[in-house]
Amino acid sequence: MPPKPHRVLLDRVSGYADEAAAYVRRRRVARRPFARLYYPEGRATDQAADTSAGAELFVAAGRLIEVAGKRPR
Amino acid sequence: MADDLTNVAVTDEAARGALAYLTELSPDLRGAAILDSGGVVLAASDSPERWREDAVALLAVADRAGEGPVEQLHVGTEQGEVFAVREESLALVAVTDRFALASLLFFDMRSVLRDLAGGGDGRGLDGGPGDAP
Repeated sequence: MPPKPHRVLLDRVSGYADEAAAYVRRRRVARRPFARLYYPEGRATDQAADTSAGAELFVAAGRLIEVAGKRPR
Repeated sequence: MADDLTNVAVTDEAARGALAYLTELSPDLRGAAILDSGGVVLAASDSPERWREDAVALLAVADRAGEGPVEQLHVGTEQGEVFAVREESLALVAVTDRFALASLLFFDMRSVLRDLAGGGDGRGLDGGPGDAP
């Protein structure tokens, strides 16, 4: 028996909503700022933005980004 | 900058050539600078004085943040990304667009810096894109 027409529509709308939610979730993760330090022995540490060291790193990096400016297109 | 690094003599001309080569290799690059162990800018894409101040400050903050001198660092913000690599007494700091290919850029930066520290022009064995047959 074919599904009722409104079911098809509802399924399609909820499919789009799921896609959009996943996109927003991925975007939120990808846009989160991060600071990663690597040491000679192969160790690496993440510096959270809410620590004083992390905040200083973001400020210093922000200044450099400002110096570099936009890439010429 | 780390104090335990040996000094290597790199000419400004070689550093400028290396930076130009890195710019050719990395389409996401917005700007970069090569510094020696004393924080002197050997080459910069522009405003060497500002690059010196801010790159030295970034490396100093990074060294204080963790457990001693960092070998490389990667900071990502919404406005762009910052990469830094140290090799012998040299440091290369680069700013790219967001979502640059980090491992590729680190590889290119380290290759350029290693060759420069070894007395080369930063191009290594590769003659550069323009020299392809």
